[in-house]
Amino acid sequence: MGSVNRREFLTATGAGLAGILAAGVPPARAQQREISYLCWNNFAPASDKKLAEIGQRFTKDTGVKLKIDHVSHMGPQQSKYASEVQTQAGHDLVEMRMHFPWLYEPQLVDVSDVVAELEKKYGKALSSAYEGGHVKGVWRAVPQYHTMFVPTYREDLFKKASLKVPDTWEELYTVGKELKKMGNPVGIPISQNYDSISTASPVLWSFGGMEVDKDGKTVRINSPATVQTIEWYKKMYRDCMEPEVLSWSDSSNNESIQQGKAGWVHNPLSAYIVARNRKLVTTDGMNHHRSLTGPHGRHETDVPRHIAIWKFSKNIEPAKEWIRYLLGKREVYDEYIMSGDAFNLPVYDKLQDHPVLKTDPKYAALKGEGIQYHTYGWPAPPSDKVQLITNTYLLPNMIAKAVTGTSTKDSIAWAETEMKKILAG
Amino acid sequence: MAAVRADEILVPRGRPRGTARLSVWLDRERILGPVFVTPALLLLLLLVAYPFVMAVYFSLSNAFIGRPSEFIGIRNFVQLWDSDAFRQTFQNAFVFTGIAVVFKVVLGIVLALLLNEQLWFKRMIRGAVLLPWVIPTALSTLGWWWMFNSLYSVVNWTGIALGVMDPPGPNWLGQRYYAMAAVITVNIWRGLPFFALCILAALVAIPKELYEAAEADGAGANSRFWHITLPLLKPVLAVVVLFSTIFTFSDFNIVYVLTRGGPINSTHLFATLSRVLGIDTGRIGEGAAVSLYLFPLLVFVVWAQLRFVRKQAY
Repeated sequence: MGSVNRREFLTATGAGLAGILAAGVPPARAQQREISYLCWNNFAPASDKKLAEIGQRFTKDTGVKLKIDHVSHMGPQQSKYASEVQTQAGHDLVEMRMHFPWLYEPQLVDVSDVVAELEKKYGKALSSAYEGGHVKGVWRAVPQYHTMFVPTYREDLFKKASLKVPDTWEELYTVGKELKKMGNPVGIPISQNYDSISTASPVLWSFGGMEVDKDGKTVRINSPATVQTIEWYKKMYRDCMEPEVLSWSDSSNNESIQQGKAGWVHNPLSAYIVARNRKLVTTDGMNHHRSLTGPHGRHETDVPRHIAIWKFSKNIEPAKEWIRYLLGKREVYDEYIMSGDAFNLPVYDKLQDHPVLKTDPKYAALKGEGIQYHTYGWPAPPSDKVQLITNTYLLPNMIAKAVTGTSTKDSIAWAETEMKKILAG
Repeated sequence: MAAVRADEILVPRGRPRGTARLSVWLDRERILGPVFVTPALLLLLLLVAYPFVMAVYFSLSNAFIGRPSEFIGIRNFVQLWDSDAFRQTFQNAFVFTGIAVVFKVVLGIVLALLLNEQLWFKRMIRGAVLLPWVIPTALSTLGWWWMFNSLYSVVNWTGIALGVMDPPGPNWLGQRYYAMAAVITVNIWRGLPFFALCILAALVAIPKELYEAAEADGAGANSRFWHITLPLLKPVLAVVVLFSTIFTFSDFNIVYVLTRGGPINSTHLFATLSRVLGIDTGRIGEGAAVSLYLFPLLVFVVWAQLRFVRKQAY
């Protein structure tokens, strides 16, 4: 390389500076395409590894550098999102769950174009994914995957005691009594956590009840259906469960069946997957069966995950490129889904009979599920007020009050008053 | 080197210039003082005053994460009182703080008196007492959560093994009074070292002559404690109780890890409820109002106790 004299140096740098000023973009930024993605630590750890691997391939194929950060779900995740929104700085893409797209709606990019492409390819997004991500007529987050809440039971114990696999919540009570006598009670949490809501909601819906009407304004908790729900919980608590369920965290029901104590729990597949991966002695005896039904049909709750892009992101197009790469390419999406066992399931209609369900005979019960999925608070449309009803655990607290001695009438009246205050506020 | 006569030294005439003028200015106490204080003041403004003012503003607004907010006066404070969860939290905070601080004072004095005695491995024991304070609270509370856990409670296992509990033992985190007892126990365990060491420092500073004189006059151990030790500990106790009251009122980690405010909100404290409303639900205004609800009361407590300390000191 020849030497550069002072005049040549000044000419070259002067021209470069003029170019930068004219473009208004620093040279490094102009060349570099980089996005960052914040998601939670998946309950199926192999899924996080696969995501990183796909990310590397994405960078290689598109030249867009991708930085993936993980955060624990719920607590730290929500604080992180809140601080990113308040400071208008942080990641370009974020993973969302429950009603998050509604909560952060004004801060999220319209991704209807991406969802339209995906729906064209894979069929409509499942009802719960639609309820969560489609906000006031606009897709604010792209449905990514979902996790089913299904009954997990000790098939070996059922066979030993000749118990019939239940199909209704009432039948669960019948077998639950026997299970408790055998020292393997039913494990449904009635405490301040989300698993408690994930069971209480389907029970309430199956009896024909709801918290708030579909107008999102009228409290409907005070109904004969809620009375039936509470009476069902009362007898379940008394005859089929142990008082420990009042203090359970989201992971307690998993641990209870894995340890060999609980005979039946209502939870995503993580209880079985973890038991199998850790080679626990209870693994072989565990299995799943179809969600339970009631006088008003079979209802299931669901916590679909979405990917959203913050409006303050300076890399909206490369961010959409990543979503299209991960979810829009069938072979990549399949690879991602397969990595999470059946914990992460495809959230689009045509992919419901996915090969992941054939990887283990104990996933067979999941086929055909997902007909009547809803997010928390259904049939009320998600909103910050419905979110507050959910997050203050009014439904499980109402049940907890009733099973610990408050009359059914007073428990419902308490929940109704609190819900009305929230909606009026 | 030739000697220099005093009248040959150049004395600057008129107004000093540049750095010379600056050093003259800085020599003045009136100027130098504020210069030294300014960095600290800026830090205080940035790290204490700004967040506090923001919190006050949020509490008086309908702030919601990422949305424009409006000033609504004290509506948040009024509406909060309407909420059952908040009223329960209010009551919990006083029960939790009252019981925990009383236990910490009594046990702190006992522990400090013990540590002040001639013990074997005195330094090691004094160091070990600090452990609960040194371990990150969230981590140590996880240990307690495991001990109180309904599935594998070590506390219950031990109690049953010793025959003091009937199987399966109390449902520590699932019943309101037991849950409150559990969070208070962990708070006492966590806060005791602060009390013990502060009181120990005060004990060490009490002149031995006072005890010798009292002993010579025939005063027994009880009498020496009530008439010498306790009166001389009062200023330190007042400060320690003041700090502990504020910290205990605003505790977060212990409740968040152990019970998340349950069962049925029976262990929620201001900080945990504030988090649920402000972060989990996005209602920053209400969350800020919860955290500032007791601010006027705490200001009064601080004022009263500092006044008491000043009276004791002079």
